[in-house]
Amino acid sequence: MNSSLKSSPSLRKSEPAAPAAAPGLAESLFWLIRLRWFAVAGIFGAALVADRALGLDLPYARVRAIAGALGVYNLALRLYLGRAAAAAGPGLLNRLANAQIPLDLLALTALVHFTGGVENPFSYYFVFHMIIASVLLSRRASYLQAGAALLLFLLMAGMEYSGRWAHYCAASAPQLCARADALRLLGACAAFASTLFIAVYMATSIAQRLRLKEAHLRAANEQLREKDRIKSNYVLRVTHDIKEHLAAIQACLDPVLHGVTGEVPPAQRGLIQRSYDRTGKLMTFVKALLEITRIKLSRKMETGDFSLRKTAENAVSHVAERAAARKIRLTWSVGHGVDRLHGSQIYIEETIAGFLANAVKYTPEGGRVDLTIGDAGASVLVRVTDTGMGIPADELPHIFEEFYRARNARAAERTGTGLGLSIAREVAQRHKGRVWAESREGEGSAFYLALPKPAAA
Amino acid sequence: MAKILIIDDDPDITESMRIILESCRHLVKTAKNGEEGLKEAAAAGYDLVVLDVMMETMSKGFEVARALKSLPANSKTPILLLTAIKGSTGLDFETEAGDKDWLPVDAYLEKPLKPNELLVKVESLLKKK
Repeated sequence: MNSSLKSSPSLRKSEPAAPAAAPGLAESLFWLIRLRWFAVAGIFGAALVADRALGLDLPYARVRAIAGALGVYNLALRLYLGRAAAAAGPGLLNRLANAQIPLDLLALTALVHFTGGVENPFSYYFVFHMIIASVLLSRRASYLQAGAALLLFLLMAGMEYSGRWAHYCAASAPQLCARADALRLLGACAAFASTLFIAVYMATSIAQRLRLKEAHLRAANEQLREKDRIKSNYVLRVTHDIKEHLAAIQACLDPVLHGVTGEVPPAQRGLIQRSYDRTGKLMTFVKALLEITRIKLSRKMETGDFSLRKTAENAVSHVAERAAARKIRLTWSVGHGVDRLHGSQIYIEETIAGFLANAVKYTPEGGRVDLTIGDAGASVLVRVTDTGMGIPADELPHIFEEFYRARNARAAERTGTGLGLSIAREVAQRHKGRVWAESREGEGSAFYLALPKPAAA
Repeated sequence: MAKILIIDDDPDITESMRIILESCRHLVKTAKNGEEGLKEAAAAGYDLVVLDVMMETMSKGFEVARALKSLPANSKTPILLLTAIKGSTGLDFETEAGDKDWLPVDAYLEKPLKPNELLVKVESLLKKK
């Protein structure tokens, strides 16, 4: 697969570092906004410590004003982004991403200036902004941000050195301040500049590689999906052919077995009956395989509004006779306000009927099977519980996989396609819903189908 | 005794149906595709036509059904349509295609056929006629 990926022309062409189309940019911006709240709280907290505990003589009112400003524009960005993410395209998001970081750089420069200037150890917080820029923005934009940060820092250093701006000393004694020492100042600026650019270089390199890998994975995923589709088409064709032959075999055995062609001696009759039964089982399997393949291949399902109560009633009627024959108590109920549903009525009915059929099949005589349909907030929850043999805990995660049958199910019942629950899972996914099961071996099982409520309701 | 025409492209299923229907003393004629079936139906009148919907394509079966009704000799002949797709596609001809102009079919049977079901359907259609 690797080699085919490398030779894929679409991959070679794709420039993975284009965050304009990067999915999840909006999420990253929300993340940045959440981080900024911590910064706001951090500044207030640090100012409190510096003032009360360390007794440093700094312009705290201005520091708090900066934190306040940070909070205000963060709130504004949050509100704006909330609306922009819903409505606007990637261009606007990108501009938002590009604008946030310079704002932060300005705020941080002001903060550093008022809390110690060049020798302020917190000036290395600029590195965080470089990393964030490298993750969110293109490589070029990240270097531009590094340049902007450096310019701001040099401006502050120069202004403080020349005395045009005041220097706020964050040392315990003013004579410890480095402002007047040109060499130390130059050293601090050089270290600062190199740190910023190296940080951007490293972070963008890693980000680039990750983006490339992500693009590869996405392409590989797409290829797998395409291959799966080809495989499904193949299965569909083959299964369809098999089914035709099976139908003909059944059609020919049927009249013989039913005495249409004359009395059949018992010995022959037995063998023909066996052939007939096995053909029937194969037919069931082939039909299930056809069905799941068709669902997988169909891009769209026939959907409509339907009554869940009626659907449940139909599903129950499919198994009522079998349940009665095995003296299993079968009950069902549909809660208030969950009757109307939008989706594929036939497939939902089949899924519920499948749950019920399984429950009846694997529950001993005299047991119980209950179907309840109720409200679960945003979704409608269909639940089928039984007092049957249950599912071994280690097999529970696998039962919705294609062709999977639990050990005890296989031992109890030789026939079974292992496809019923995979069809259920496929149906649930097609409805943006979910299926799952809970069980305790020997005590019973509960099967769930959660379907989203109709949006319009 | 009735004259029945079976149009189905599967020779084995046709043979099975022939044996089942003949066991009830019906006179059975078989055709292995739509053209052949229409030729037979143009030449003689039948009491019933059993038609497989899925010959080559599904629309082929529909076309044959419509063409049958336009033949003077068989314009009143009931058609029993055999389908193998109702269950798997959810296509419910009986409710969706109640419109006789769209699909002039009188009854439906799903494949695989059970001899008894076939006979019951056939007898009821013949009685109606």
